Order: sequence, then structure tokens, then C-alpha cells
Amino acid sequence: MLFFRSEEHIDRWCRTWKVARGGTLSLDQGWRLALAWYGPDRRDAAWRRKNVAEVEALFADIGLTSGFWSLRLPESS
Amino acid sequence: MNQTTEDFDFQVRKAVYDVAMQRGYPPTLAETSSLLHVTPQEVGRAFQRLAAGRVLVLQPENGEVLMASPFSAVPTPFLVQLDAYSCYGNCIWDALGVLAMLKKDGRIATSCPDCGTALEVRVANGSVQAKQGLIHFAIPALHWWDDVVFT
Repeated sequence: MLFFRSEEHIDRWCRTWKVARGGTLSLDQGWRLALAWYGPDRRDAAWRRKNVAEVEALFADIGLTSGFWSLRLPESS
Repeated sequence: MNQTTEDFDFQVRKAVYDVAMQRGYPPTLAETSSLLHVTPQEVGRAFQRLAAGRVLVLQPENGEVLMASPFSAVPTPFLVQLDAYSCYGNCIWDALGVLAMLKKDGRIATSCPDCGTALEVRVANGSVQAKQGLIHFAIPALHWWDDVVFT
């Protein structure tokens, strides 16, 4: 996850490196994600990684709802 | 060893994060074994189990910790500066994560990957501030762990 000056710079970097445009977060969204992800104390015996449902809820809470943020395999047709 | 594997892995996880949070980068196998008074081989096996559980990312050549997220064992383009020390996050999310985990104010120094312009992010009084900038995730969330170092 990289930090760019602006949308224009993300677009140009993706074109230059032939990387598909991915997901973009504002700095505020990134900070909220960091607080939720890394706030719980990993030195606590009760700490565990978030499960898929918890991560989905977190993504939804900060407005990350497109397919890019999905954690489930697409259903085969 | 008179404790369960789960208990031991917790002791190792706690030791890794105790050290990383205190100094900004994770301990080596030797340091962790010394702290816990066990052999490096026992710690190495715990590191492997924690990596399998996606708690740590190891250096493939020697089994040492590469990432105890958000902390990096090696320099990265995401320098985090605190009053007590400076350290490296694995990515911009993790650089923010260092400040979130430590619950400290600080400064992140990085640069735009497109043009190289120096960029700064500050966290002060629990709020994030920057003159400009956007976070870009190139890899869809479902595939973050396919190659987490690249992600």
C-alpha cells in the first residue's frame, strides 16, 4: 500500500508500471483502518486475527464496499 | 517444555511485540530465545507456526522475522518518527499502524512513488494530518496474502 500525491499520480504510476488501478483510500480512512486493525493489543493473550466477517464489517464501516475489498471467492457460474 | 504449544506461541508473540513496541523493530531468534530462556530451535518453530497463522512474516533464507506488523525488521520507504525512536512500517497502512498501536503522536516520512516528491503525514492528538495524499492498494483484498511482501 503506497501513498501518492493525488489521483493523477496514482493513474500515471499505474499506467507506467502496467498495474491495474486498485482501491483508493483517503488518509482519514487509512487512519481509521489502522486504528481498528492495530489498536487491539497483540501482547494480550486474548488477541486474535480478525475473521472474514469482522474485516468485512470494518471495511463497510469505513466505506470500503466495492468488489475490490471483498474477501470471498466469487461464486462460479 | 511444560506448557502447551498454544501457550508457548503466545509467549513468543508477546515477546516479539514487547520488543518491537519498545524499540521499533522485532527481536531476532537469538534475542527471543534469550528472553524466554528456551532454545533458538524452539523459537524458530514458534515463529513458523505464527507465520502460518499470518501473525508474522519471516525471512525465507533464515527464519528470522521480516514483519511483525506493523513493524518491519528492515528499512522501507515508510519511516515513522516518534519521540523515543524512528522505525519502519511495512507500507503506509502499517506506518499509520505503528502510531495506532503505540497510541503515540508522530510523523511519517515517505515519497510519492510516481514523482518522488517527499510526503509527510502527521498524527497529533490522535488525529491524522497531511497537506496532500491518497492511499492506493494495488492488490485486491482477497489476494493480499498471496504475496504479502509485494502487497
